[in-house]
Amino acid sequence: MNDTIQSSYDVVVVGAGFGGTAAAHYTARHGLSTLVIERAENIGEKIISGLTIPIYGFLFGPGFIRDGAPPVERPVDGIINYIVIDIDRGDIAIDDTLRVPKPLAPIFAFGYNAYCADFCQWQADEAARVGATIISGMVVSDLIIEDGVVRGVVLEDGRTITAKIVINAEGSQGLLSVKAGIRKKYPPRVISLADTYDYAMDKQDVDRIFGHSIRFLWGWDEQDLAPPLGYGNGLMVWPYGKSLHFMQDQCLAKDDGTVQNLKKRFETYHENVTGKLLWWKDDVEDKTELRAHTWQCFEIFVGLDDELREMPLFTGGMLIIGDAAGLESTELCDGVPSAWFSADIAGRVATEAIEAGDVSGEFLSRYDREIRNHPIIAWSITAPHRYLLRHAQESHDEKLLKKYVHNGWGFEALAHTVVPLTLVFLRVLRQDPRIMTSWVRMYFRYYRHWHHTFSADSSNPGKSLRDHEDQTIGEYIFSFLMWWTDLLLFVFWPFLWLMSYLLVPLVHLTKWTAGFFVWLYEPLWVRLLKWLDAKAVGLTDALTRFAANANPDIFSAKKRREP
Amino acid sequence: MRTSDSFPGVRWVGESGAFIQVDTEKCTGCGRCLMVCLAGCFEVIEKKARVRSLEWCMECSACWYICPENAVDFSWPRGGTGFHTRFG
Repeated sequence: MNDTIQSSYDVVVVGAGFGGTAAAHYTARHGLSTLVIERAENIGEKIISGLTIPIYGFLFGPGFIRDGAPPVERPVDGIINYIVIDIDRGDIAIDDTLRVPKPLAPIFAFGYNAYCADFCQWQADEAARVGATIISGMVVSDLIIEDGVVRGVVLEDGRTITAKIVINAEGSQGLLSVKAGIRKKYPPRVISLADTYDYAMDKQDVDRIFGHSIRFLWGWDEQDLAPPLGYGNGLMVWPYGKSLHFMQDQCLAKDDGTVQNLKKRFETYHENVTGKLLWWKDDVEDKTELRAHTWQCFEIFVGLDDELREMPLFTGGMLIIGDAAGLESTELCDGVPSAWFSADIAGRVATEAIEAGDVSGEFLSRYDREIRNHPIIAWSITAPHRYLLRHAQESHDEKLLKKYVHNGWGFEALAHTVVPLTLVFLRVLRQDPRIMTSWVRMYFRYYRHWHHTFSADSSNPGKSLRDHEDQTIGEYIFSFLMWWTDLLLFVFWPFLWLMSYLLVPLVHLTKWTAGFFVWLYEPLWVRLLKWLDAKAVGLTDALTRFAANANPDIFSAKKRREP
Repeated sequence: MRTSDSFPGVRWVGESGAFIQVDTEKCTGCGRCLMVCLAGCFEVIEKKARVRSLEWCMECSACWYICPENAVDFSWPRGGTGFHTRFG
């Protein structure tokens, strides 16, 4: 990928992570000469994360990801929260109310687990396929700034590369922006250090013990099982394809500036969890083998601080995206959807600016406005529930602890997310309502790709395993339904377009009603989940067998004009 | 290329140089950089922090964030060098 590079490009992207490669894909696809510069020897090998990419990133993010087959480790269908009251007495409450019901689960996933290196490499390959040049093993050491406008970058070997627009996707530290005086270094109280372990495990064991659910652990500070509720974050276990990913992360400092010995803290949490938590000790420990221990800082609480949140996301000649713009989500601790959204917006604004011949800060300020008005980004960087857990710890109120966990990672999280997700849904509906069938195909294609990547016959995930070429009745029904749905959506497009505007006030009203009536519909939801758990087993098996064995062509994305 | 028994799954490539440095004029010897570094890169001698070794540094930049005196100068190691992992 280390092509010979020119001295000038339309767009230079700093960093080949989730955001940088997506932005490069956009600008290269729109005919702009695009160079991506990555400091790691291989793409994605300096990115560390426990990673569930929430589904809204795939639904509303870059089209090439939605319509492709990226390397996912496992579809996720829900969260199991373990709320530890007293580990020694085995007093642990479980909140597993946030999950996709059968038979939709696990195909219609809540998100996808992935390794950063594999996923970012796939994105980089896709960007290169549409014309982006990607070089790795090179540090951008400085920006070229003339009259307050960024005109290019300086490489570590002293070479300069000029660009009409620089898209800064350098990650959470944002060294270039800090050095140029555009943004400030974040204070340690908003920075979390993620201590991550990767355990190899047989797929059958992962399937049997974890299935498709991620596990979170919450407990009083004095239990020393997980990072403190007061200023830490949490402990999470992700089932991957043939491995478990385990992450504990806590802020570098308390609000009052107190700093702890984090090495000792993390060792204590890990020893206590693996030694005291029964499901780990009895079911998991002897089936796993530690194969990686890594850590990284990320900017978890930037969005909750008014001053930090207001720092600029652009300057003349430069747009700042993803973690470099402080867009990490405060609750799921995930920055990927916001990196993708901001990459798409930055790609579009850069294209417009270059077409208009105006890369001034005034022109590029539209990027800043769009990011701040993006319903999902605005919600995800300001959701307070993880931060609020400290109040439960202060008062040592068990009821409060369960309430906050339920608000952030239980059923009530839906009441908080329904407004931003629906607003973005209505936006994309306006552009082309047939995106809904693209989503259905995506779900089936992703599941099929995942299944074959980790099945005994993993040689070609795109290949049908059937030994005959006749269309089965299931394939016929699926294709028929997709075709008719597409036709109906196309015919009713004007009506849906109108509705997408008329429904907006009603959606805003939902912000209040969804939370208010949760007492009414949550018990019904929980009963429905239990009923489906018992009754929909056969249907779930039939659906997953169909997804795994059908001709992959029927799940292929339809070629459509991209906005 | 280096690997460590303490930190499996990671390889350190090439020579990265002194990409983290402590300004001894600014340093007050508070030791916060030691507290947050999981790789043991720092030591405090005569009330001044200094980089002991960057051999197992994961480039997390916790030392840079935590220093109240802005005495830690953090930059990226030379391109293609430093830590790499497939399991992040």
